[in-house]
Amino acid sequence: MAHTWSPEIEEIDRRAARAALMGGAEKVARQRAAGRSTVRDRIAELLDDGSFEEIGALAGFPSADEHGEVDVMPANFLFGLGDIDGRRVAVGADDFTIRGGAADASIMAKQVDSERLAGAMRVPLVRLIEGTGGGGSVKMIESAGYTYVPANPGWDHVVANMSLVPVVAACMGPVAGLGAARAVMSHLSILIEGQSQLFVAGPPVVRHATGADLDKEQLGGAGVHARSGAIDRVVPDEAAAMAAIRQFLGYLPSSVHELPPVGAGCPPAGDAEVLADLVPRNRRQPYKLKPLLDAVFDEGSVFSTAGYGASVYTGLARLDGHPVGVVATDPYKGATMTPNGADALTRLIDLCETFHLPLVSLTDQAGMMIGLDAEKAASIRRGARAVAAAYQARIPMAEVIVRRVFGVGGAGQINRHRYSRQWAWPSGDWGSLPVEGGIEAAYRRDLEASDDPDRLLKEIQDRLEDARSPFHTAERYGVQDVIDPRRTRDLLVRWVRDAYRVLPELVGPPSLGVRP
Amino acid sequence: MTDVVAEMTATVFRVHVAVGDRVSVDDPVVTLESMKMEIPAVAGVSGTVSRLDVAEGSAVEEGSVLAVIEPDPA
Repeated sequence: MAHTWSPEIEEIDRRAARAALMGGAEKVARQRAAGRSTVRDRIAELLDDGSFEEIGALAGFPSADEHGEVDVMPANFLFGLGDIDGRRVAVGADDFTIRGGAADASIMAKQVDSERLAGAMRVPLVRLIEGTGGGGSVKMIESAGYTYVPANPGWDHVVANMSLVPVVAACMGPVAGLGAARAVMSHLSILIEGQSQLFVAGPPVVRHATGADLDKEQLGGAGVHARSGAIDRVVPDEAAAMAAIRQFLGYLPSSVHELPPVGAGCPPAGDAEVLADLVPRNRRQPYKLKPLLDAVFDEGSVFSTAGYGASVYTGLARLDGHPVGVVATDPYKGATMTPNGADALTRLIDLCETFHLPLVSLTDQAGMMIGLDAEKAASIRRGARAVAAAYQARIPMAEVIVRRVFGVGGAGQINRHRYSRQWAWPSGDWGSLPVEGGIEAAYRRDLEASDDPDRLLKEIQDRLEDARSPFHTAERYGVQDVIDPRRTRDLLVRWVRDAYRVLPELVGPPSLGVRP
Repeated sequence: MTDVVAEMTATVFRVHVAVGDRVSVDDPVVTLESMKMEIPAVAGVSGTVSRLDVAEGSAVEEGSVLAVIEPDPA
C-alpha cells in the first residue's frame, strides 16, 4: 500500500543498499583478493552479531548518468555504535575500496563526529585504520586553486578522548600521515604482520626526500614496529586483531567516569606448587615468566599490552574476576629495563591510573639499561619518567618481590614512599647495587694488602651472602613479609577485593591529560 | 620462527649445537651472558641447525641472528 512518503522511503532503502556496495564489485574483489576484509566485514567481525548501528550512511558524492540515474559514491569512512560482549562501543573505520582510503574521498565531518560521539556518549572508541594521510593528493591543490594552513581534523577531540574513554586503534593496511597519528593516539595500537604498515610518510616520499629505497614492509612493517614502541601489539591476522580489541576493552570501564567491570572469577591455569621451584638458586639462571603468570591470575585472563618492552612485561589480568594491571619481568628477554621497556611501563601505569585499575608488580628489576647504546637512547630520562608515572599514580598497588630490586629503576618500579602491600619471596635479592662486581671496588685496599686475595674474596663473599638474606631485611621491617611463593595468588585475591573498595573515590578524569 | 635471535645485547657464553644437529622446540641453542645473567636463546621450531653465526665470546646486538634452523617437513 502506497503511503504519502513511499517514494522517499524507497529512496532511503535504495541509497542504503548502494552504500553497502562500498567502492563497487571490482574494488571489493581486489580487496578480498589481497587477503583483506572489507570495512563492513571487519565491523561485523568486531561487534556482537547484528549490533552495528551506522551513522551517516547516506553521506557521499552524488553523480548522475546520462539517464539521470543518481549514484552516490559513499564516503570512505564509516562509523557508528555497536556492542562488544553486550557493552556499547563506538567504531570508526576506513574503506580502502574507495580511493584507497585517501582523504579526498572522505567527508571529514564524519570522522570528526566519530570522535565526538565516543567522548560525548562516554563509550570506548575503536579505530580501524587503512589509508593515507589527511592531505589527500597534491592534485587537490590544483582543483581547489589554493592551499591552506593545516590543522589536524578533530584533533581537540582526539586528544581529549585519551583522558576520557578507552581508545584502540588497529592498522588494517598501510597507514601513513594523519592515519598514522590516529593510530598512535590510542591506549592500544595494533599492527597485523604482513598486512599492515605504519609510517609518517610512505616509500615514495621517503625515497624522494632521503634517497633511501625501502618498500613499505621494510619501512614500517612488523619487522620494524615489533620493537619500535609505536605499536603495542603485533598480531598474525585480522581475526586476531579483532579478538585483541575485544579482550582489551573487557578489562576497562566504558569511560573514566565508571569503574572497571568485575566479572565472575575463575581459578588460575597453573598449579601454585610450581612457584616453590620457579626461581633458581643460582642467580645467573633465568626463570620462565609464563608459569608465574599462569599460577597467579585467573585462567585465560592475562593480556600483554606491549610487545616492545623486552624484559619489561606489561599487561592486564584478572584476580578473582577483578581487572588489574601487571608489571613483571621476562628474564629470557634480558636483565635490565631498556628505554623501550621504561616506555611500556609508563604507558601501563598511565592506563591503569586513567581507568582506575589497581596495579600488581611481580618485581624482578635489575635497574635501567646501562652502556653506550642505552645512554644514546636517554635510558635515564625514560626510566625516570616511568618512575614518575608510578609516583603520580593514585591507584592501589601491590608488590610481590620475585627476585631482584636494584638501581633507580628497581627502587621506583612502584612508589615505595606510600602505603602499598608488599610480599617478598625467599628468592628476593635487593640493594642499591648488586654484590657481584661491587666487592672488588669496595674492598680493593684489603684485597691488595692480602697474601691470599682469592681466599679473602671468598670470605667476604660468604659474609655478604649471609647478610643479604631476605630474613635479615624482614627483621628490620625493610620488607613487609617474606612468604611461601605458593601463597601469592591467595594473598593477591584478598588484596584486590580491598583495593576495589578504594576505587570509587578515584573515578573521574585523571589529574594530568594522557599523552600517547 | 626459524631464526634464533638475540633478545638483548650480550656476549655468547655457550654454544650448545653445531651445524647439522637436530633440535626440538625450546631446546637451548646458545646461552647468552648479559648483566651477569645466563640467558638461553631457544629453538622456536623443531628441525636441523642449518647455520650458526656465532662462537663463544662473540658480542651480539639485540635482534641479531644467532643461528638458523631448517624446520622438519610438516
